[in-house]
Amino acid sequence: MADKRFKPKKRPSRARKHVLLLVLLGLLMAGAVFMFYPPQEKIQQGLDVQGGLSIIMDATKTDGSIVTLEEMESAREIIDRRVNLLGASEASVQTQGNSQLLVQIPGSIDQTQALSTIGQTGVLEFINLADVEEQDAVVALLNSYTLSHEDINRMLAFDEIEVEQIGEELVNGRAPAGLYAPQSQSVTIDEDSTDFDLAAAQGPTIYKLLALEPGSYEPIFTGADINTVRVGMDGELSLNYAVNLELNSTASRAFGEVTTALAPTKGKVAIILDGVIQSAPAVQVPITDGNVSITGNYSLRDANSLKTVLDSGSLPVALSVISSQMVGPTLGQEALARGIMVALIGLILVALYLVVFYRGIGFMTSASILVFAVLYMGVLALLSYFGLFALSLAGIAGIVLAIGMAADSSILVLERFKEEIRMGRSVRASSVTGVRHAIITSIDADLVALISALTIFIAPLGAVSGFGLALAIGVVCDIIGMLFFKAPLIRLLAPRIITRHPGFWGVKEDEEYAEQAGELVREEG
Amino acid sequence: MVRPFKKDINFLSKRRIFFIISLVLLVLSITALLVRGPNLGIEFVGGTSINFTSAGDITTEEMRSAFTDAGSEMPLVQTTASADGEQGFVVRTSEDDSAAASALADEVALALGLEDDSFQVMTIGPSYGMVIAKNSAIAFLVAIGLIILYVALRFEYKMGLVAVLGLIHVLVIVMGIYAITGREVTPNVVAALLTIMGYSLYDTVVVFHRIKDNSGTTNRHSFMTVANHSINQVLMRSINTTTTSLVPVLAMLFFGGETLKDFAFAMAFGLVLGSCTSLFISTPIYALWKQREPKFKKLFQKYGDGVGVFTAADNLGDSSK
Repeated sequence: MADKRFKPKKRPSRARKHVLLLVLLGLLMAGAVFMFYPPQEKIQQGLDVQGGLSIIMDATKTDGSIVTLEEMESAREIIDRRVNLLGASEASVQTQGNSQLLVQIPGSIDQTQALSTIGQTGVLEFINLADVEEQDAVVALLNSYTLSHEDINRMLAFDEIEVEQIGEELVNGRAPAGLYAPQSQSVTIDEDSTDFDLAAAQGPTIYKLLALEPGSYEPIFTGADINTVRVGMDGELSLNYAVNLELNSTASRAFGEVTTALAPTKGKVAIILDGVIQSAPAVQVPITDGNVSITGNYSLRDANSLKTVLDSGSLPVALSVISSQMVGPTLGQEALARGIMVALIGLILVALYLVVFYRGIGFMTSASILVFAVLYMGVLALLSYFGLFALSLAGIAGIVLAIGMAADSSILVLERFKEEIRMGRSVRASSVTGVRHAIITSIDADLVALISALTIFIAPLGAVSGFGLALAIGVVCDIIGMLFFKAPLIRLLAPRIITRHPGFWGVKEDEEYAEQAGELVREEG
Repeated sequence: MVRPFKKDINFLSKRRIFFIISLVLLVLSITALLVRGPNLGIEFVGGTSINFTSAGDITTEEMRSAFTDAGSEMPLVQTTASADGEQGFVVRTSEDDSAAASALADEVALALGLEDDSFQVMTIGPSYGMVIAKNSAIAFLVAIGLIILYVALRFEYKMGLVAVLGLIHVLVIVMGIYAITGREVTPNVVAALLTIMGYSLYDTVVVFHRIKDNSGTTNRHSFMTVANHSINQVLMRSINTTTTSLVPVLAMLFFGGETLKDFAFAMAFGLVLGSCTSLFISTPIYALWKQREPKFKKLFQKYGDGVGVFTAADNLGDSSK
């Protein structure tokens, strides 16, 4: 008896738990809407949707050995420089797997030109700066600001921007000019001063100063003449770093002659990569043995940055374009529009199907698919925010499929709920045990789907990985929607509302079934 | 939809017919795969695919000759229709150098007077194609391995083995359909097939689970009868889940662009075949196998080969967990 008296007290507390879960879900949904609205801005679009050029490059060592992480990183930086040379604003270069680089250039771009720029072998040259016109301006530029190609491209794009303004916000992408010295000797630098008015110079001027006309200069030696490039300390007691080169004999001789001529006036030898001056260290003393040290109060980062430049002429790995895909911007958007239409058609048809077949409770699960969709968008936007997700066409397929998956779990819940009623249980009891069983089954199904989805995501199959990710996220959202929406809602409605209107909620025939079956059993028994 | 005491449909007495149908499909598929082989997409074998949309009133012939004029050997020209009903083309060539393919596309577009951004070019080098093909194979093996592991941990080994056989059954037939129709097999198809494996496995697991529950609570029927009853119990769920999964997939197939169609074609067949296989192939095989166990052998001897149907009392008695 005591037991019975407690029960009425328990019931409201359980209802409160369900209400609490629903409130929690409401908050989650509000968060999700906040995350993804407006979706075209908040959900990152893949290159095949927004249009652009995607290139996969493969790095191989000429001697057949395995490419190291450092080699991949320097290869990445080199390709990054070349991509920036194209003037692409939001391009990205990422390493992929052990030996691949994924280059993504959004927007409209001349594919043929891009491929030739990116696919070229880097040309590294050393020239006597005296051969360059306006060398004072170049020197001032190189010493005053550490410019990267991005900066130069930005200046090209917005030539109204003052150099000074750019200089202030520059990222240190380039090694400052330094000094050429024999590797054994430690030197100090004095600051250059020139009359060149930097503040007055405009972006294109700077670019023109640094980008040399092909054929207008004669290299002393090229990257092919460098045997090794190493970063070391600048003297034994120094805290600064130096970049040490070892030249072959022909280059040693040529460099020896030039440095002998330049040393008295502290003349400069410019380092040129792909036709653009990167740095112009001054010659301190004649260097005739081919062991060159470039110093200049370099931090480790400066030194490594310069090393990357020097490496790209004698790239440790051979890069080749193994795959490329160019999508026109209108094509991608059209495909996206169709994808969204397909997803909506799928969503509506599935919802209709549920309502027609299951009536009231079907309507409830249709609503749960809507909840699922909102959560899903929210998670996709969240991942986009952290740069972990970009909606590709394959991803859209994953999303559409996930809608079907969410409907599946709804049906599992409904069928089990109705089945338990047919077994003669009360609506309320069925809403507890039936839904519990169904959730366990659904989670089982979802786990199996996750196995496939994650395998697809992790396997390096190119563009398809987006499908796997979208599907996996969908599965997780489905589980959340089930625990926080479907289950509490059915349980909340079951004791009063569903029990009172079994016809509307579509459980009447199940109750009748149980009744008649019960009678039959009594007759048989 | 549920009529009280509707008799179980006696599916399993027709199991020979199901086996024959399955055998015929398998033989056809394997023959097609051996004779014609799957039409592997450029993603696997290397080459270039150029997709022209809004190609105006250019004919297939004009498109082909534009390619041969530009020095492309044996271009494969197919027409497509975009959302606004405008005609487009997909042209595949064996060119596997990106720069050359890009130049080729430019040249063709210029010759035909098409806009610069009205086409897309995808080029896959032969070495990368090999990598993708290898990775696809690995992905399949890993997924099947993980699924076997999951099934082994979760269920008895007979269930697991039969379930995996069912998956292979579905995969072979879907691949056979690809070989027969000559449709291109792309990494998207691989992904679709992997997904189907998950779906199909789950269908099987649900039926097996139900058989297990039912066989534990009654000894008034042979195992085959219990299996048949279990099929009837999950039939509605199976039809409904397959339909709801199929509806979005069909929407992709009919209204989607090329990429979505690619996924949808494999999935549509895989979904339907998967649930049919679970119910009508895997279940009778499992039941036949289980009937050899001593406990069920006795029931088999007692109730005979026939597949019986459940009564109302059984219906209420069984699934009360």
